Amino acid sequence: MMGKLLKYSIITIIILIAGYNSVTLSPLDEVKKSQNDAVFNARAYAENFISNDVTSLPATEVTEFLSQISEDLDGYTEQYGKRLGISDAYNFILQGTGTVSSMEEEYVNLILENEKSIHIATDFIFGNAIRDGSAMADIGDYQNTMDFNSISVELNNIVREEIIPPFMKKAKVGDEVLFKGAVTVDVTDPQSDSLKIIPLLLKINE
Amino acid sequence: MKLLPRKLYLTLLIPLLLLLLTVRCRETNTDGPKKVAVVISTLNNPWFVVLGESAAERARELGYEATIFDSQNNTSKEAEHFENLIATGFDAILFNPTDSEGSVSNVKRAKEAGIPTFCMDREINSLEVATSQITSDNFTGCVELGEYFVRKLSKKGKYVELLGLVGDNNTWNRSKGFHSVVDHFPELEMVAQQSADFDRSKAMEVLESIMQSNPDIDAVFCGNDAMAMGAYQALVASGKADSVMVFGFDGAKDVMDAIKDKKIEATAMQSPKQMARTAAELANEYLNGARNFSKKTPLQVKVVTQENIDAFGAYGSTN
Repeated sequence: MMGKLLKYSIITIIILIAGYNSVTLSPLDEVKKSQNDAVFNARAYAENFISNDVTSLPATEVTEFLSQISEDLDGYTEQYGKRLGISDAYNFILQGTGTVSSMEEEYVNLILENEKSIHIATDFIFGNAIRDGSAMADIGDYQNTMDFNSISVELNNIVREEIIPPFMKKAKVGDEVLFKGAVTVDVTDPQSDSLKIIPLLLKINE
Repeated sequence: MKLLPRKLYLTLLIPLLLLLLTVRCRETNTDGPKKVAVVISTLNNPWFVVLGESAAERARELGYEATIFDSQNNTSKEAEHFENLIATGFDAILFNPTDSEGSVSNVKRAKEAGIPTFCMDREINSLEVATSQITSDNFTGCVELGEYFVRKLSKKGKYVELLGLVGDNNTWNRSKGFHSVVDHFPELEMVAQQSADFDRSKAMEVLESIMQSNPDIDAVFCGNDAMAMGAYQALVASGKADSVMVFGFDGAKDVMDAIKDKKIEATAMQSPKQMARTAAELANEYLNGARNFSKKTPLQVKVVTQENIDAFGAYGSTN
C-alpha cells in the first residue's frame, strides 16, 4: 500500500515538473517583439546607416535647391526628387551653411548666404524624409511593410535622441551652422518659404 | 496490323483522356476581349464598392471584359472564386484580399495557372506570388494625421482609440503610424483602445461603453471613417459632440461632409479610385507584354481637415 502511494507520488511529481518546464508563459507583446527582432532589426539598420553612410551621402546645396524649386517646382522635383510609390511628396538630401537667426519651439531658423531662410527641425521629427530621400531601402524588399516603416521610425528616433540634443546644448543666435539633412516637398502644397529639414549632421563652426 | 496489348492501350489512353480533361477545364479565350476578374473582399461597404467598380470600369475602358466577384469577407468564398476564374479562363485578376495570410494560397494557384494577380488596398504576406501590390501608405498617412491630432489637442488630453479588425494589417499599420507620433507626447493619455471591427454601429456601442467609465475624454481616433461616424453618433447621443474631437481614416463621403459641417475634425484620404485604376493599368501593361513590376506600389494618403477640405472630393477624387 505504502509502495503504491510512493510510486504514484513520484509519477505525479515527475509529470508536474515535466509540465512546468515544458510550458513558458510570456506577455504576447514580448514574444511578438522578439520574433520581429529575429527577422529584422530596424534600429540596428538605422544606426548602421547614420554611423557609416551619412558623411558620404550625396546632397544638393540648399541654395541651389531653393532656386531650382522656385523656378520650376514640378520639373525639378520630378527629375531629381525621390518618392515612394505614387505620391506628390518628393524627398531630397540637402546640405549647406547658415546663421542661426532665431530658436523656436519646434525648429532653429537659419539665414542662408542668399538671404533666404530654412528651418532645421528640432521637434516633430516624423515622416520618411531620410529613408526616402537617401533611397537607403526599397519597399519591394520587405514582405512585411511594417519593417520598412520601422526604418523611418528608428532613423527619426536617432535624430531625436542623438543628433539634436548635443546641438541644442551649444547652439545660440548668431552661430554659423553647417548642416546636412532631409526634406520633403509636396508639390501640391510646397511651403517653400518654411521648408523643414530633418537634420542628419549639425556642426557649429567655432 | 497488330493491335496494341489491351493493358498498354489503357495505360496510354487513360492519361491522355485525363490530360484532355485538364486542358478543357482551363478554357482559353480566343474569341472576343480578354477577361479581367475583380475579386473584392466585401461589397457590403461603400468604400470597397468604389474600389471594385473603379477597377472594373478602368478595365472596360482598356478594352477588357470585367467581372466583379464578392468574397463576402470569407476566405473560403474567395478560394471558390479563384477556382472558378482559373477554370473559366480569366486573363488577369485585380484582387482585394480577405486575409493577408489566408489569401496567399489563392494567388499562388492563379500564378501557377499563369494568371497575374494585382492586389489592391490590402497586402498579402508574400512577395513571390502577386505580380504587384498596390496599397495605401496607411502608416505614413497616420503619421501625418497623428501630427495634426497632437497639434489640435495642444499636446495634452485624454483620448480613445477605436481599432479596426484585429487580423487586418491595415488596422495595425494605421495604429502604429498614429502611435509613432502621439506616444512622444507624455501629456496625451490614451484611456482606452478597443476594436470596433471597422463597423459604424459597433463603434457607437463601444464608445458609449467606454465613456461610462471615462466621461472626460477630449478626442477619439478611429481606424476608419465608418467608426468615426459611429463615434460621432455616440457623442451626439451623450451631448458631447461639441467638446470631443473625432478623427477618422478613409475619405468616405459621409465623413467628408461631416468635416465640411465641422462635426468631424479630420480624416486621411485614401483613394480607392486611383488604387483601382492603377491596378487595372498595370494588368493591361502585363497583358501587353511588360514583366518588370515593382512588388509593392504604395499610394500617398493625404490628411483632410476643416482647413483644407475644399481641395478634396470623396474617395480620392479632386475638386
